[in-house]
Amino acid sequence: MKVHKLFRKTLFGVLFLFFLILLSTSLLWYRTIDRQLSEEYETNSRNIAKTIADSSVDILLNRDLSALQSLIDQFAEIQSIDYIYITSETGEFIAHTFVPGIPSDIRDSDPNNTEPVQRQLPGMGSFVEVGSPILAGVAGTVHVGMDTDHVSLKVQRAMGQQNYLISILVVVGFLSSIWFVNLAAKPLGELLGYAVAVARGDADPEDDARRLLARDDEAGHLARLFSHLSRSREDAGGPRPEPDGGAEAAGQ
Amino acid sequence: MLDIRPTPPHAPMTAPGRPAPRAALANPQVRDAGAVRPAAASGQHRPGRRARRQEGSPSRPVSRRILLRNALSGCALLAGAKGAQASGRPAAAAGTRPARGVRGRAAQDEIVLGVSAAFSGSSRGLGIELYRGATAYFEHVNQRGGVGGRQIVLKLYDDGYQPDPSVQNTSALIEDQVFLLFGYVGTPTVTRVLPLLKKFQDDNFYLFFPFTGAQPQREPPYGDVAFNLRASYRQETGGLVDNFVESGRNRIGVFYQADAYGRSGWEGVKRALERHGRELAGEATYRRGAQFTASMRRQVEILQESDPQAVICVGSYNACAAFARDAVNLGLEVPMANLSFVGSENLLGRLTTLEDSGRYTQFLVNSQVVPSYHDSSIPAVREYHDMMERYDPQPPEALVTEEYEPVARSFVSLEGFLNAKLMVEILGRLGDDPQRSDLERAVFSVRDFDLGIGELASFGPDRRQGLQRVYYTVVEDDRFVTLEDWAAVGAGPQAE
Repeated sequence: MKVHKLFRKTLFGVLFLFFLILLSTSLLWYRTIDRQLSEEYETNSRNIAKTIADSSVDILLNRDLSALQSLIDQFAEIQSIDYIYITSETGEFIAHTFVPGIPSDIRDSDPNNTEPVQRQLPGMGSFVEVGSPILAGVAGTVHVGMDTDHVSLKVQRAMGQQNYLISILVVVGFLSSIWFVNLAAKPLGELLGYAVAVARGDADPEDDARRLLARDDEAGHLARLFSHLSRSREDAGGPRPEPDGGAEAAGQ
Repeated sequence: MLDIRPTPPHAPMTAPGRPAPRAALANPQVRDAGAVRPAAASGQHRPGRRARRQEGSPSRPVSRRILLRNALSGCALLAGAKGAQASGRPAAAAGTRPARGVRGRAAQDEIVLGVSAAFSGSSRGLGIELYRGATAYFEHVNQRGGVGGRQIVLKLYDDGYQPDPSVQNTSALIEDQVFLLFGYVGTPTVTRVLPLLKKFQDDNFYLFFPFTGAQPQREPPYGDVAFNLRASYRQETGGLVDNFVESGRNRIGVFYQADAYGRSGWEGVKRALERHGRELAGEATYRRGAQFTASMRRQVEILQESDPQAVICVGSYNACAAFARDAVNLGLEVPMANLSFVGSENLLGRLTTLEDSGRYTQFLVNSQVVPSYHDSSIPAVREYHDMMERYDPQPPEALVTEEYEPVARSFVSLEGFLNAKLMVEILGRLGDDPQRSDLERAVFSVRDFDLGIGELASFGPDRRQGLQRVYYTVVEDDRFVTLEDWAAVGAGPQAE
């Protein structure tokens, strides 16, 4: 598709604008989704930890740990919950979902902490861990680890879908711009051709030139003006203008 | 010999308006599938096709060939139903037909026992062998006229040793109004099923003799919906720890399955060590469903860091065999004890496929909850051998879709056999009109009952477990024999 010189800068400007929109909306989306998803996941993890903590009281006080393990195994099946562990009031790990073992980072951490903690566990990934006390902490603490990679993956997926849509719009928009620009540029080309013909002293304008002279817009006005000037010059006996660069330009 | 009995003419146990099980709707053939009955006689028929020919005729014995054909065709029907598992429906085997008794009562001619166990997956050997052992005894009883004239029918479902399918299967079995639940396999499955049974406690649905030694079905609040025959994991792990400590091995590590079963064993070891004023030396876990081909290198390395003098493995045979292999290969040459749930013969079967298998098996110490099946001086063992030989029970073909070579004799099938023997005794105590509401009374009437293993079984309101004894075995000449010298474990063959 041919793009007239006159509009190249405009087209590049449009393209740049599209990419600017794509970039800024992507960044905004990323920040918004990431923040909202992280908050939601953290809230869910907290709720899960609290649910387990509330359910664990009876199990801890009356039954064996296999029931407790069974309970946390069910919650660990929830998407994005990567690990759960329960520590006793003395800090002992009494149930967990780690394979092949409890990571040393977690083993060395404060077993009673309930504040959100960012963890980078070698070979496992990065996590946000939240805690909830069992029986106000006197019976232990439930810890739930949420996989932040999972959040990132979800954000990336959402971003990918959004970018896919915007990219399609960019391509369609860009092609449309070229088409519209060319639509606007066509009378200018014809005007240029007519001006060259007038300069060469072609007495009988061709069909295209006639259509141009009949136009009721700026191109038509200019064509008629050229025609008028040419005739005025001829009537005055003046020299004809030389068709130099203009002819070449018309051929472009 | 297995028999698939066609669906009866009516389904009196189906509540009015209750939809048929989805598997049956999805596959019309399944409607014809009956329950797997370890019996040689068939007395009920459904009007239609083959059954129509016999309509109106009295019950009559069926030849073994016909029974085999029926079993195979039934198995094929069941295979269609089994596909339901993938879509989240109960993994129905022969279990799409409602039992025919009036609610809470056994039918006139049969007592249906509902089974959900591992017939597929990496622990299928346990479900299959337990089933085979039980089937041998039930078939023997059925051939002699059943219990009070009623044939014992097993309604089988496959849960693949996974908790969610086991809950779905149990729900379907309850809906089908089986007389009782029998022979479940595994802690993660049973612990998930117990709340369901508790919900239906008023309908007296009891779980009999699950193949697990975990505590939840032995203690409140769920202890009153289950009856156990075998010793508990606490007893097994307690005995192992006591003996290791007495033989000078104080640093004990645990390798366990990361689920309720593993936690149950882990806790048993921990409690036993605390009695001796000790702590766990180290621990490592693996995911349920691990195969023998899986690497346990990382688990071995974790345990090696704690420098244990013995490791107690609380797992299934594939994972424990993989662990023993990798442990020895990496230089962790200490006694490795396995609980009864491991399925000793399946474990041994894996390790003996390795070159120089004695290197690996010399460190094994397996606790058992039944006596050695090699000891023919035990009456029940002789009975077991005789009936396994006579009836040659086969795996339920429709459910066992993966390759599996039955183990001729095993601790697991002996346990299944003893479970069936006591089950028959309890059913016999229900009298002429067996009702679920009488089950608890019948169980509690079992006092000092001689199963023929040298230990008397007793039950009571405060005693939900019939047997207490734990046996310890080691490998000698590629088979498990009674352990005599704890100090010599791992030091080569036992002294004669």
